[in-house]
Amino acid sequence: MPEPTDIRSGLVCVGLNYKTTPVEVRERLAFPEAQVPAAVQQVRGLPGFEESVVLSTCNRVELYATHALPSGKDGHAALREYLIDRFELQPEHAEALVLYNLDSAEAARHLFRVVSGLDSMVLGETEIFGQVKAAYKVALDTGTTSRALNKLFQQAFTVGKKVRNETTIQRGSTSVGSVAVDLAEKVHDLKECRVMLVGAGEMSRTCAQSLLSRGAKSIIVSNRSYDKAVELATEMKGRAMKFDEWEHSLHEVDVIISSTSAPHFVIRPEQIDQVMRKRRWEPLLIIDIAVPRDVDPAVNNIEGVYLYDIDALQAIADEGRRERERQLASCERIIEDQLEKYGFLKPGGNGGGLKLA
Amino acid sequence: MPASQQLLLAATLIFVGALVQALLALKAGAWKQARAQFVLMALGFALQTGFIYLRGEEVRQCPIRSLPDILVFIAWSIVLLYFLVGPAFRLSLLGVFTSPLVTLMQGMAFLSGFASYPPKGPINALVELHIALALISYAAFALACITGVMYLVQERMLKRHQIGGLFYQLPPIQGLAHAIQRMVRLGLLLLSIALGISFALHLPMTKTGHVVFAWIVWGLYAVISLLMWKHFTSPRRTAWLAVIGFILPFISLWIVTHA
Repeated sequence: MPEPTDIRSGLVCVGLNYKTTPVEVRERLAFPEAQVPAAVQQVRGLPGFEESVVLSTCNRVELYATHALPSGKDGHAALREYLIDRFELQPEHAEALVLYNLDSAEAARHLFRVVSGLDSMVLGETEIFGQVKAAYKVALDTGTTSRALNKLFQQAFTVGKKVRNETTIQRGSTSVGSVAVDLAEKVHDLKECRVMLVGAGEMSRTCAQSLLSRGAKSIIVSNRSYDKAVELATEMKGRAMKFDEWEHSLHEVDVIISSTSAPHFVIRPEQIDQVMRKRRWEPLLIIDIAVPRDVDPAVNNIEGVYLYDIDALQAIADEGRRERERQLASCERIIEDQLEKYGFLKPGGNGGGLKLA
Repeated sequence: MPASQQLLLAATLIFVGALVQALLALKAGAWKQARAQFVLMALGFALQTGFIYLRGEEVRQCPIRSLPDILVFIAWSIVLLYFLVGPAFRLSLLGVFTSPLVTLMQGMAFLSGFASYPPKGPINALVELHIALALISYAAFALACITGVMYLVQERMLKRHQIGGLFYQLPPIQGLAHAIQRMVRLGLLLLSIALGISFALHLPMTKTGHVVFAWIVWGLYAVISLLMWKHFTSPRRTAWLAVIGFILPFISLWIVTHA
């Protein structure tokens, strides 16, 4: 049983994230992926340091380490100096650098929250779990972790899974793009899903990219400016189509994302009624992002057609965010229980909050 | 209460438990293809199998000649098909929709009461196969009905923009529409074989009510299958047909066994 005592006294975490530091500073302090193995060795090589893990993502840079220095403050100061030296910050930038300095239970709590997605910009997102795993693996492969950090990170992964399994923190969509993907997945098998963009606005591009990243089969882009359609189609490895031709291909696609700047409806019930007959009633999802709307709302009354306009998408995303926020207290409770279980907190105790320095 | 009925009661309670567990998990948002659900369904199936075995021992023949026994046999076949086709069609939540129907059928069997059988006649394997295949085909139609309900629920949520807990757990409606078609085709195939056997047995149609009803059921599902195959109607209408269509085989069992 000596390990928990060691890690309680010698664990530190120093870092910055999207809440404490603007992107123009974060990008200066980010460790390129190839340089992380060298970085973990440099941190462990600092006087008095024993183990290290470096987590560097677009939203955060965090150094986790164990040390045998007289106090946690010494550990924080050494890591701060390391970051300033490593990134050759000018004195004025170094002075303005805002870092959070955590030790023992606070550091463990922070790691547990990060792994669980509670500290992420999109609450409950799951990508961070893989990023922490990758950071830990780099440190493990480089040989800069030992019993204390190995145990801490394994505990963190267990907590992360527990939070996801016992709550719905990751459920639901929180952005218009992810709502579009969720809807498409509930109408079709995404791998067989053919998408058509009518109009090439920024939001429709985001939705289409989300669908493609999740495995949508193909994409057709049609826009009043054919050059722009070609440009976007090339970017998405799709096919461009002249704007006066898109109506003839409607029956070939499973998802239509419409975002033209037309002042009137460009997709009407009589068109879609014909399309559905040609499609032999295979379901059709229409996402209307345009304002004013491109699609006559009566289209939703046609069997097999599911129409969502921007307000409907936004309402679903808002509800997704609210649902995740409602889950936050349960997640925090699980983390506190686990901190107690792993000996970071006494029953009913509190390890304190985030300290900025 | 005989040991066989104790097993059936336990199976029924387990299916109720599976439903309650699933509903609580869904309400709490903790539904994860619930392993617990699968285990409960498997346990219920084992107990159902135990009932059929013991009941067969009691009546000294295959227990598929009275309404309560037929209901239990169909319920058993539904759960069997659930295990066979559920994973293949990736129909998450099929168990949640299956357990109420199975509970209802077994509850009706209990209410009807398990009477003793008339003395055993000579066993004809073809007759037994004919009856068993016909009942399993009814189970396939029952699963088509359950999948139809799942389709209609998912379709309604998509149309009305009700994106909630159940929405995320139900499969894509396109997959559900295809699953309904496959279940109907499977049932039709099994019933066709069963009816083919009745020809081999030279059963006079006019004197065997169950064969007449089986032909009516076959005709109904042949029409439904044709509508689906030729896409004469929308998947929503065919889902309704699969749901409402099951009323006919269900009622025919009642009429035939009480005639």
